Amino acid sequence: MPKSINLHPFTVLALAAAVVTMATAANLWWVSCAVLTACALVAGWTGHLRRLAVLSASILIPTFASLLLIHGLVSQDASGLIAAAGPFRVTVSGLETAMVLGLRTAVLVVAGLLCTLLIDKHQLVAAIDLSPAPPQVGYLLAATLFLLPHMAEKQRTIGQAQALRQAGTGRGLSGWFQRVRLRAVPLVLASLQDAHDRSAHLSARGFPAAGSHARLRTVADSVTQQRVRWVALLFAVLGPIAILAPFWGSR
Amino acid sequence: MIENQENSRTENSVLLDLNIKRFRYSGAELDSLQRIEMNLAPGSLTVVVGESGSGKSTLGEVLAGILPRQGADQCLGTMNLAGQRIEYTDLESQRINVAGWAKHVGLLPQEAGHYLSRIRERVAEELVFSLENEGVPREEMRQRIAGLSKQLGLDHLLERDPAKLSGGQERLVALAALAISEPSVMVLDEPLAGLDSWATDAVTEMISRLRADGTAMVVLSRTAKPWADNTDALGKLVDGQLSKISAEEHVQQPVSEPTQWRATPGEAEILLDFSGVQLGYPGAERPVVDGLDLQVRAGECVGLAGANGSGKTTVLKTAAGLLRPTAGTLAVSASTGMLLQNSSDQLFERTVLREVSFGLPKKGKQRLRVPEVLSQLGLEAFAETHPYELPASARRLVALATVLVREPQVLLLDEPTEALDSAGLACLQEVIDSVLNRGGSVLLSTHDQDFMHRTAHRVHQMLGTPESTTSGA
Amino acid sequence: MSPNLLLPEETSSQVLRRRLLASAGTLLLIGTYLVLVITQPTGIAEGLGQGVALVTFAAYLAAAVMLLVAVLPDLPVSTLTLIPVALALNIILGQFVGSVMVPLYLDSIGTVLVGFLAGRRAGAATGVLSTLIWSLFAPTVLPFAAGAALVGFLAGTAARFGALRRPYLAPMAGVVAGVLVGVVSAPVAAFVFGGTSGVGTGAVVAAFRSMGDSLLSAVTKQALISDPGDKAIVFLIAALLIYALPKRLSGSFDFIRRYRVLGQRGTK
Repeated sequence: MPKSINLHPFTVLALAAAVVTMATAANLWWVSCAVLTACALVAGWTGHLRRLAVLSASILIPTFASLLLIHGLVSQDASGLIAAAGPFRVTVSGLETAMVLGLRTAVLVVAGLLCTLLIDKHQLVAAIDLSPAPPQVGYLLAATLFLLPHMAEKQRTIGQAQALRQAGTGRGLSGWFQRVRLRAVPLVLASLQDAHDRSAHLSARGFPAAGSHARLRTVADSVTQQRVRWVALLFAVLGPIAILAPFWGSR
Repeated sequence: MIENQENSRTENSVLLDLNIKRFRYSGAELDSLQRIEMNLAPGSLTVVVGESGSGKSTLGEVLAGILPRQGADQCLGTMNLAGQRIEYTDLESQRINVAGWAKHVGLLPQEAGHYLSRIRERVAEELVFSLENEGVPREEMRQRIAGLSKQLGLDHLLERDPAKLSGGQERLVALAALAISEPSVMVLDEPLAGLDSWATDAVTEMISRLRADGTAMVVLSRTAKPWADNTDALGKLVDGQLSKISAEEHVQQPVSEPTQWRATPGEAEILLDFSGVQLGYPGAERPVVDGLDLQVRAGECVGLAGANGSGKTTVLKTAAGLLRPTAGTLAVSASTGMLLQNSSDQLFERTVLREVSFGLPKKGKQRLRVPEVLSQLGLEAFAETHPYELPASARRLVALATVLVREPQVLLLDEPTEALDSAGLACLQEVIDSVLNRGGSVLLSTHDQDFMHRTAHRVHQMLGTPESTTSGA
Repeated sequence: MSPNLLLPEETSSQVLRRRLLASAGTLLLIGTYLVLVITQPTGIAEGLGQGVALVTFAAYLAAAVMLLVAVLPDLPVSTLTLIPVALALNIILGQFVGSVMVPLYLDSIGTVLVGFLAGRRAGAATGVLSTLIWSLFAPTVLPFAAGAALVGFLAGTAARFGALRRPYLAPMAGVVAGVLVGVVSAPVAAFVFGGTSGVGTGAVVAAFRSMGDSLLSAVTKQALISDPGDKAIVFLIAALLIYALPKRLSGSFDFIRRYRVLGQRGTK
């Protein structure tokens, strides 16, 4: 059973931001690997390891493949040649570049996805509502997260309805286009109409709030967490500068 | 012209006074409302009856300040509300403050779910959405929820997920969310439509409690029957014109004659044959339907009855070929056509004519039937209209037309009476008769007991335990 | 206390603040782009590389967020309820198209739809939000927020100047938008991620690299191959979807009425 951690959503995000920027700035393979391992441990401890692995892999495998093609296969470096045939040149430094870039992306992806899995969506929305951000942001986030499964379901029933009418069975390019149309038009029509019908009632309920707004839901926070957030943000900005400053001189 | 006789209760305090000369939607060729006069006193109940498309919902939205939209719709008239006088002709330059207006007049839309924000995790949070937007302190919100919940008997719903409520519960929650801002007038559009008897009682009870606290109620409905006893004013809306009627006049409308029972042709060919059929969805713990034995013969109309979640829709979808039995056999020996419960999912063309003709060969026999089917359903006048611009009843009939034009031998209808007005019901009845007369058969599910008795030759009772929490969809 | 039934006029200082914020965001975006293209930083894997990656990431993201904050308060509720639908459409239709193995992204249909219906500011806001929310599921899209904002902005601009009045004009506007978006997004792909995130696009970049192009120009050329075609199809699909809407619905958008976006179609 996955457990959610009892931290303010912003604390989790600030920590992740600090880790990602500093790991990117450090750009050392062992730092990246350590961060990835730490993420995997946290995911394992909270019971999200499996989903984290599946979600990350679906993004990272194409990325790694693409980077290998671009940097590994047609390297422009002169030294460290491993193999060459026609336009293809595989070099040690080319492979290294691909690996370093891949790990850099991996840190962003894994740390980001871990945040998504750890943070309770409703708590995140409440935290945004209670922050000075415009009141529209919280609504838009919440509404989208609600609509995603809802519209995916709708899309499925539309497919069924069209099958009942024996519509959308064509082949080839025109058949494909017809199928897209049969699926997309009722979905778009129904959801735009729905959005339109709702908007009047939403404004009747005082949205978006003109002045200050409140939330019934409380988001647990503490002075310690606030301090941690500030420190993390400071590290996210100053950490990379501190790490990279020595290189500027050697340019 | 509606006037309140019961001004005695709170002498000369009229909450709202509306006088509309005419209202026309942007781009429309006809007025949707004409010569409407209403005034409402605290605690009064005003009922406005009208058929689908008569302008009821438009009137509701005008009362709630949602219409007219600035720079689009045309409106002539005046409104007196909360000591302020609105000249509609002035609205060219000024915008209505919909939120401020809603503190005086709240509107519960026909689709009660549209009133809910859909973005809160618990009902309690949904209830205070409007208070949150006003910035009411948390402690006060808690008190308001507790008070309202006690007054209206909502305690059992407060911790539920608003997305997983049944239709009746959804309406109760929407009513409460409306009531929490304590508007002096509440406009309810079809507050009882589609509710079973338990939910009807709960909603009516809530309405009388709110009235007792002095809220003026305006009910927009197809029928005045449930309200006849304690209405202060009753009006009838026909083509956007409001006229006063007496309660007796309305209730004494002719009830449609029961269709004559045909003797079921016992030896007729069996068109649908379920034997020992088990139906389920992959991954579900237990099958939705188990051991179903049901034969439907030519010329026969069979009704499926049962609680929500007992598998009526699943059986119909299986007969239509959308699902396969997980056990047992199903023999279908004729062409089938199915009307879905939410039939808007099937519509995607720009005009009714194109919609109904979709996918039919250019010179085929079925193509020639299109005008015939449209006139059978009373849709000829709408041939060039966009299906989404039709009233709900006519839109349902368009979906029925797309099924009928292919002349199915077996007609499968999922809750066919939902959204239909009385003219639509008559068309549906006629369609069913004509299918049976030409030797076809009809299998249908409905909550409407009257319709079931009038139409079906026999009723098949679906067994199976209803899923109490997940049937909200 | 009785709340007012009519709305007061908006003060000009609020409007001014939003204009300033929007201009600052745009300037930051253009400035970062120009610096990257002119200086052409090299040495991806050395110390300088990470600095460029972080600065590009931060600048593009900050520009997008500034634009969002500037635009949001201006949007009417009817547009705000439209945006979540558009975001979900981006994702769902993008997935449906992806599942039938067509080599396009088509992940901006919703954004373009909002641009067409509600104008360029709404379109730009939708683009940014779409990216921010999508990044919850795929963090790598985050720095492309500015590109997505540009798609929505250009869709709104195209609609305003009549691209929807004839069906063949929409894909032409799409090609132009695709060129601009491809050029603006290329530095992100090149400097933040060192390439692309898809195998097909990666192969194209590799082909250009093998001809001796720098990474930025290879990625830009790849974008110029993929994006115009993609955006042409997206603009066409979005236009066809708009034509399928009932007039009462499309006519309820102020933007559609004011600029006669649909031309003859709208008044028929």
